[in-house]
Amino acid sequence: MARAFDMQHIRNFSIIAHIDHGKSTLADRFIQRCGGLTDREMESQVLDSMELERERGITIKAQTAALQYKARDGKVYLLNLIDTPGHVDFSYEVSRSLAACEGALLVVDASQGVEAQTVANCYTAIEQGVEVVPVLNKIDLPSADPEAAIAEIEDVIGIDAKDAIRASAKTGEGIDDILEAIVARIPPPKGDPDNPLQALIIDSWFDNYVGVVMLVRVMEGTLRPKDKMLLMSTGATHMCEQVGVFTPKSQAKPQLSAGEVGFVISGIKELEAARVGDTITLADRPAAAPLPGFKEIKPQVFAGLYPVEANQYDALRDALTKLKLNDASLQFEPETSQALGFGFRCGFLGLLHMDIVQERLEREYDMDLITTAPTVVYEVLLRDGTLMRVENPARMPDPSKIAEIREPIITATIFVPQDYVGAVMTLCNSKRGVQRNMQYHGRQVMLTYELPLNEVVLDFFDKLKSVSRGYASLDYEFKEYRAADMVKLDILINGDRVDALSLMVHRANAQYRGRELVAKMRELIPRQMFDVAVQAAIGSHIIARETVKALRKNVLAKCYGGDVTRKKKLLEKQKAGKKRMKQVGSVEIPQEAFLAILQVDNK
Amino acid sequence: MAHVVPIEAALRGIRLNSLPPLSLYVHLPWCARKCPYCDFNSHPTRLAIPETEYAQALVADLEQALPQIWGRRVYSIFFGGGTPSLFSAATIEFLLAAFRARLPLAPDVEVTLEANPGSAEAQKFEDYRAAGVNRLSIGIQSFNDRHLAALGRIHDSGEARRAIEIAQRHFDNYNLDLMYALPGQSVEEALADVRTAIATCAPHLSCYHLTLEPGTPFHENPPPVPDEDAAAEIHDAVVAELEASGYSHYEVSAYAKPGRLCRHNLNYWLFGDYLGIGAGAHSKLSFHDRIVREVRHRLPKTYIERAAAGDAVAERREVTRKELPFEFMLNALRLHEGFAVQHFTDCTGLPLAVIERPLREAEARGLIERTHTHIRPSARGRRYLNDLLELFLADD
Repeated sequence: MARAFDMQHIRNFSIIAHIDHGKSTLADRFIQRCGGLTDREMESQVLDSMELERERGITIKAQTAALQYKARDGKVYLLNLIDTPGHVDFSYEVSRSLAACEGALLVVDASQGVEAQTVANCYTAIEQGVEVVPVLNKIDLPSADPEAAIAEIEDVIGIDAKDAIRASAKTGEGIDDILEAIVARIPPPKGDPDNPLQALIIDSWFDNYVGVVMLVRVMEGTLRPKDKMLLMSTGATHMCEQVGVFTPKSQAKPQLSAGEVGFVISGIKELEAARVGDTITLADRPAAAPLPGFKEIKPQVFAGLYPVEANQYDALRDALTKLKLNDASLQFEPETSQALGFGFRCGFLGLLHMDIVQERLEREYDMDLITTAPTVVYEVLLRDGTLMRVENPARMPDPSKIAEIREPIITATIFVPQDYVGAVMTLCNSKRGVQRNMQYHGRQVMLTYELPLNEVVLDFFDKLKSVSRGYASLDYEFKEYRAADMVKLDILINGDRVDALSLMVHRANAQYRGRELVAKMRELIPRQMFDVAVQAAIGSHIIARETVKALRKNVLAKCYGGDVTRKKKLLEKQKAGKKRMKQVGSVEIPQEAFLAILQVDNK
Repeated sequence: MAHVVPIEAALRGIRLNSLPPLSLYVHLPWCARKCPYCDFNSHPTRLAIPETEYAQALVADLEQALPQIWGRRVYSIFFGGGTPSLFSAATIEFLLAAFRARLPLAPDVEVTLEANPGSAEAQKFEDYRAAGVNRLSIGIQSFNDRHLAALGRIHDSGEARRAIEIAQRHFDNYNLDLMYALPGQSVEEALADVRTAIATCAPHLSCYHLTLEPGTPFHENPPPVPDEDAAAEIHDAVVAELEASGYSHYEVSAYAKPGRLCRHNLNYWLFGDYLGIGAGAHSKLSFHDRIVREVRHRLPKTYIERAAAGDAVAERREVTRKELPFEFMLNALRLHEGFAVQHFTDCTGLPLAVIERPLREAEARGLIERTHTHIRPSARGRRYLNDLLELFLADD
């Protein structure tokens, strides 16, 4: 049963790894090795519990497992594995997970070497004083090149990797060596169970039965059920109802003390009340200060989500509300578009986050959606001195009132094999990037660019993948808002401005973007009973025009006494196709057209 | 006993005060070779066709169907295929005699037989006439050998011309089938075909835009047919040429000299009834409280066996009240003259009010023209007939 461990026998650690470098498989091995689950319970890759995550091979919510490991020294250690999300959109969550650890395994695919996100997360770990233990995974692959991978780790990350553990999560090779290294090289936690409580919220999620569950790392003090907790960022108090650990099954415990990782349930109903990075202390004996590093996370990318059929609006709101229960970073508020009707403007941490939300709405809630092109948040300084945030290009004030538009700039770190450096640089330049640094690390080059986020949200990831044949990896962080000569590009269909298609572009790119966009729209809009004019305009100035020529005819050549069902099916298919389109004026516009900007020059 | 409204009939809500005209369709499913564009129920054969057996199956089939059409007069008979002209005139004569003995035929019944213009077939034309066939429909398709080859036809243009000459000697009423928008065809070539057909003074022409139907070799491996715009140019030129040459363009693909409209097909388009006998044949039959569709067994061998066993029908289903308006429109809106409002009610047993909404929508979009007694597709509605018909599809 739950036995008490003194701090000397506790190790708190995370795994830093690039997507598909084998983090989940490795975690499964640990759980299996330490008997955390019976074989029957051991469904492959238990840590990535959401179906979607499993398909994409990414972890979105951090989860944890408390593992009991009998080491070669004969003693039993409690190893707390704290899972970390593996994507650039979730770097804040990663930093909080790392803040809860004393050590981290740096897992590198022995055949592929170091990737940008791994590096960024590893730097975060080193900055926070976390001990990094390098592991070379997939050592069983014929293409494995451990020496090169070691050289790369040393060169890029700057840590000693001579003793990097060679392992294969797939075959089980080296698993015990890793567990031994965790015991030997990662320091035990510090802290005093008798000090005032400081517990870091690593993650929180909504459970239908108990409300919000918080995953915490207790840094100082002790938390017991019935304690009155104080959340330091908001000042709210809650009664602690239950504490416990995940093995990875949940297991109640009488208390959580300094050095330990576990869950807290306290009847909180809204996820916003249990923010990742916040500090829990006790109301009657509070800590002097919260733990450092808490940040309020703000969505960086916005898009309009509209139901294809207007009567699905309420269903969409319900679905978003349910999703938000488990995703505090998702924001949404009602929005009306002349073209698309009633929908929601949604804010996301980044593009992947947006993709995930969209897919979950479609898959889990069976929603049929039209998504507008993603946009960033602009700061607009008006001539009267007021500063406003604009999340939707259609809401951009009249240019005559604008003194300055500021756009978000990111610092992007790109890792790419030498052969593709030229192509990546060309891409960054075409996206208004400014090069800040370039370093050679063995086979790889690390490029640092400042890029407008506006250019990145559209199609940068896809382009980066395609120009580097999938080898480039990217990490980015917000840098600052910077004034830019941005203009609003409108799309007119048969003379009607379609609000949902407006987008912000840099004046220098406006002509080209406009031409490309209307050309793409012409391809996407099917021929109809009349000519359809597609125009791009800046203000009242038309900069590009294409025409979708009218369909010449649409008639079945033959119809006699034979099979009516087949003809009927054909027309039903035609009708269903139109139903999935949006009517703008009298023009039927397919859903893809609202994302045409993402497909421009993907030739 | 008190008069009770049958509940089922009331729910179905169909009540026909009179039954529409009845036609007889006879499917003869064999072909010498299957054409790559053909999606009809046809079966290529190199062996002798079991004519006698099949003819007996048809008669048995008809006899089983008689109770459903008891006492109703038949206004037209159509032998379709396949290639009916592979059958001997004697068999056709036997069949017509069998029909006459069992069905009250109208005195001026139209009896059409589809024929291939091959020389072997053309020799039989005279005998078909003697057997009682009074209208031929000849599958010319094109007078251009290159295009005939591309269509996989087994006749050439010389045979086509000779077949027409022979037909003219024995039939005053006949139809030529033509196709356009053929692989590699220019506007001029299509017009040349049409002009040749017009020059024969044929009483009726059917000109079809070649369609690559799903399930055909052409659909799997599309030939280089003209693109949408080029095909539309051809279409417009063909229509203009025919309309300027004394033909009335009375249906999407049908053109007739005055008084020579095809009665059998007109009955389909006016949502009349038809009994279809033979392998894979479709029927549509009305009763005072319901409308039924039937399909015969598709494979000739199965059909022959099942018909002999008194079980020729493979599928039978009632057309629901919801489906009726679309099925009516699918046919009636193909006609340039459209239909009389009263006719809709007569044939479907439904008030016009059930389609008032789509009718208004169609009118607003300029797809139909209507008076209080008559509804017909506008020129625009004829051009975009599928978009017009779509309005009458019931929402699931």
